[in-house]
Amino acid sequence: MAEIVGAFGVPHTPVFPFFVKRDGPDSEIAQFFKAVTDELVALKPDLIVMFDTDHLNTFFLDNLPVFAVGVTDTFKGPNDEPREVPVYDIKSLPDFGAHIRRTAIDAGFDVALVQEFTVDHSVAVPLHFMTPQMQVPVIPIFINGHVPPLPKAQRCFELGRAVKRAIETWPKSMRVVTMGSGSFSLDVWGPRIAPGRSDGVPDPDWASRVCELLEQMQVPALISEATESQMLKAGNVGGELLNWIAMLGTIGERKPEFVKPQMANGHAYAAWRRG
Amino acid sequence: MSVYAVNHLCRELLRDHAFRAAMKADPAKALEGKNLTPQERDALLAGDVATLYRMGVNSFLMGYLCRFEVCGLTLPAYNERIRSAAPHGN
Repeated sequence: MAEIVGAFGVPHTPVFPFFVKRDGPDSEIAQFFKAVTDELVALKPDLIVMFDTDHLNTFFLDNLPVFAVGVTDTFKGPNDEPREVPVYDIKSLPDFGAHIRRTAIDAGFDVALVQEFTVDHSVAVPLHFMTPQMQVPVIPIFINGHVPPLPKAQRCFELGRAVKRAIETWPKSMRVVTMGSGSFSLDVWGPRIAPGRSDGVPDPDWASRVCELLEQMQVPALISEATESQMLKAGNVGGELLNWIAMLGTIGERKPEFVKPQMANGHAYAAWRRG
Repeated sequence: MSVYAVNHLCRELLRDHAFRAAMKADPAKALEGKNLTPQERDALLAGDVATLYRMGVNSFLMGYLCRFEVCGLTLPAYNERIRSAAPHGN
């Protein structure tokens, strides 16, 4: 049987690869990504299952799934030209992706199927830092965290639990890590950006609260507090927290190895190991 | 439905490099034939992102107007205008 050996929560800010190239390996962003990468390498994963919110680059307003799973042997990304990120060929495992979708549908989640797609910075930036050789296959699970109405936090958590069951019923022995991609409080190109910038952190108190609840693994409190109005109040990408909540559904009750807040950006870097 | 056309052409700025070049060279000409209301066309050509936002245009997509510096938009201009659309100040 496949097993979940660890889980991660990371941001995907598209300008971070440029900043790290400019500011070097001792810079704050580089060090944060080194911390999660060291954990990932130690876990020796055979597969990454990544919960992700696309920024209308994989999908568009003509056809916008609430939940979707990528079922393909390879996909490319990023498709939105973040600076200093090459376009990668990313391997995937279509049979395993189809098994996740079947298991989720059996559990009552009508997850869309997507077989020919590219991904944006929200998948590619974490991989750029954490698996730059793209040696580990990735199955993306897309959650609409940007375009209201957003799915409920409880639903996303339960989707994570269904994905956990899917992984644990996969007949081959594999080491799997799950990942949630995104920020807690961030507005991008919207009315609540900071003066002079293209982004801003409208609700730093909420970002701090999320970090506190993650550190203490108070998942029911996080789910009940992560209402649509709270997440949108935290910025137009505040719903990316749903990717973290889905990830939490895959890991049980074990406390994280670490949660490293980066409050100026309204997000954190976190890692869990198998209980 | 037409706000959809604004959203769509914003994304085409990212995807379609010929359209991006046309929008940088002569936005009025590049927008000819697009399914836009007069108000949408005027707001686009004026770089009036606050009005576009109030019409319901998606913020990330509108950001491409600034990222690729079309319709007179630079980061300072975009920033000042979009922040004026904040419902509760900033």
